[in-house]
Amino acid sequence: MYGGGTIFEPTKLDALKDEDPIKLAEFEARIERGEKIEPSDWMPQLYRKQLIRMIEQHAHSEIIGSLPEGTWITRAPGFKRKLALMAKVQDEVGHAQLLYSAAETLGKSREEMIEDLISGKSKYSNIFNYPAFTWADSCFISWLVDAGAIVNQLANSKGSYGPYCRALERICAEEAFHLKYGHHCVIHLATGTPTQRKMMQEALNRWWAPMMHFFGPPDKMSVHTETLMKWKVKMASNDDMRQQFLDMYVMKIREIGLTIPDPNLRKDPETGKWIYTEPDWEEFKRVINGDGPCNKERLAVRRMAEERGAWVRKALAAPKKEYIAPLA
Amino acid sequence: MSLSSLDPRVTRLQIPDWTTPMDAKKPMDQFQTFQAFVQHKENKPIEHVGVVHAPNEEMAFLFAKEQYTRRGNTCFALWVVETSNVMVSPYTEKGESLYNMIDNEAVENLEEGEMPFEIFHLYKRGKQHIYAGRVMADSPDEAIVQAKKLYGNEPKPVLNIWVVQTGDILFSDEDDKEIWNTLSEKVYREAIDYKGADKIKQFKEENQAK
Repeated sequence: MYGGGTIFEPTKLDALKDEDPIKLAEFEARIERGEKIEPSDWMPQLYRKQLIRMIEQHAHSEIIGSLPEGTWITRAPGFKRKLALMAKVQDEVGHAQLLYSAAETLGKSREEMIEDLISGKSKYSNIFNYPAFTWADSCFISWLVDAGAIVNQLANSKGSYGPYCRALERICAEEAFHLKYGHHCVIHLATGTPTQRKMMQEALNRWWAPMMHFFGPPDKMSVHTETLMKWKVKMASNDDMRQQFLDMYVMKIREIGLTIPDPNLRKDPETGKWIYTEPDWEEFKRVINGDGPCNKERLAVRRMAEERGAWVRKALAAPKKEYIAPLA
Repeated sequence: MSLSSLDPRVTRLQIPDWTTPMDAKKPMDQFQTFQAFVQHKENKPIEHVGVVHAPNEEMAFLFAKEQYTRRGNTCFALWVVETSNVMVSPYTEKGESLYNMIDNEAVENLEEGEMPFEIFHLYKRGKQHIYAGRVMADSPDEAIVQAKKLYGNEPKPVLNIWVVQTGDILFSDEDDKEIWNTLSEKVYREAIDYKGADKIKQFKEENQAK
């Protein structure tokens, strides 16, 4: 599981003015009652649009996120690690399939989503635009990037859209192993030889800033955010998720002798909130807009898989068949 | 110039430096969709698990096996059916049972038909459809009426029904069950296989001693 820090489209204040007020009230009442929205239900255009955006970004993040980890399968230290990492990467790609199907129920085809990923029109989790230099980097991803994504996804699994929630429930169930596997790998290095410890510390130093970026920039509370929260599309603010992550993992990182590369990081005893150095949000913007160390490679690898697999799909094509969107 | 990467495997792929956008995908490039159903435990009913894209039902079966039955300890059955072959009833409102909307007289007057249909029930919004059983009818609409005869008295209201003609489903058979025999051996995919607490404790003790 890799999704986090969804970028929502800015919406205009009058986005709801064309919606039928009675249907809108019924829709909101259903969410208020805690009932899920299903694909055949009426929903406002804005809800549909933002959900497609969110689920699609999440799906792309799973596919792209499996690249920096997948890179270490052939060089994993030992057979058991190799088996586990292969199983984990397969899970992540499976998660993308589940999520693409959930987005399809809202009316965007898988063909369009793949095109928008490859052309750069759709985004994915920014953290995967950074390279995994060593085995320790892949351990960091397995443990802490997954941990961050779990914070985000557990919140989202209580959202209002049925197909997305069902996909997330399944995904979260498979995640338990990823997190424990990742932690096990990091413990092994962090409590190992001086060389292993150094390798793990250096990976942590490289990944800390992207990890702080992971949950997205601080939310500006706006009518837009309030609407998304009322509709249970966005379930927690970016800052709340970042705080929750720090609450759960700072101690676990420190207890195995690793040093988090932020001298200002501490918990304010009065507010109970973590104080930290703001990561460089200009860098975040620059990287998400295409200028990061691995953006080009990630999309090129994805495009190559599409182009070089085209003949297989052509050979299997069943021209008389008709596409029907998934039912649930 | 081809792409050069930290990952030697990626460099070896000789990915060209594309200067033009990828060609637009044709409709059906990603194939039609199939609904997949799985029986996780021997004494539990088979239930809907999700969707796969595939060019035919045999491949849909393989993809569904990989996607929906590779994790967990057991699987007893897997069914796939093309989405276009699933007839979907309307959703009821406010927890009312769909069977209440079918006239009792229609139920009494309807004779059993010639074709077998499989019936799936939805009991709660947000959950998956669960297999109810087989009815004999002449059309999907009649199959729902027949289903009321058999299942209309269940205490739980049925909010939505899927009807599929039996012949449209690819069922796993007895021999297929072997493909799930290895599930319980693959403990490296289970959280329980990764214990780190002892190592952390030992590390802390050693550090305190220093």
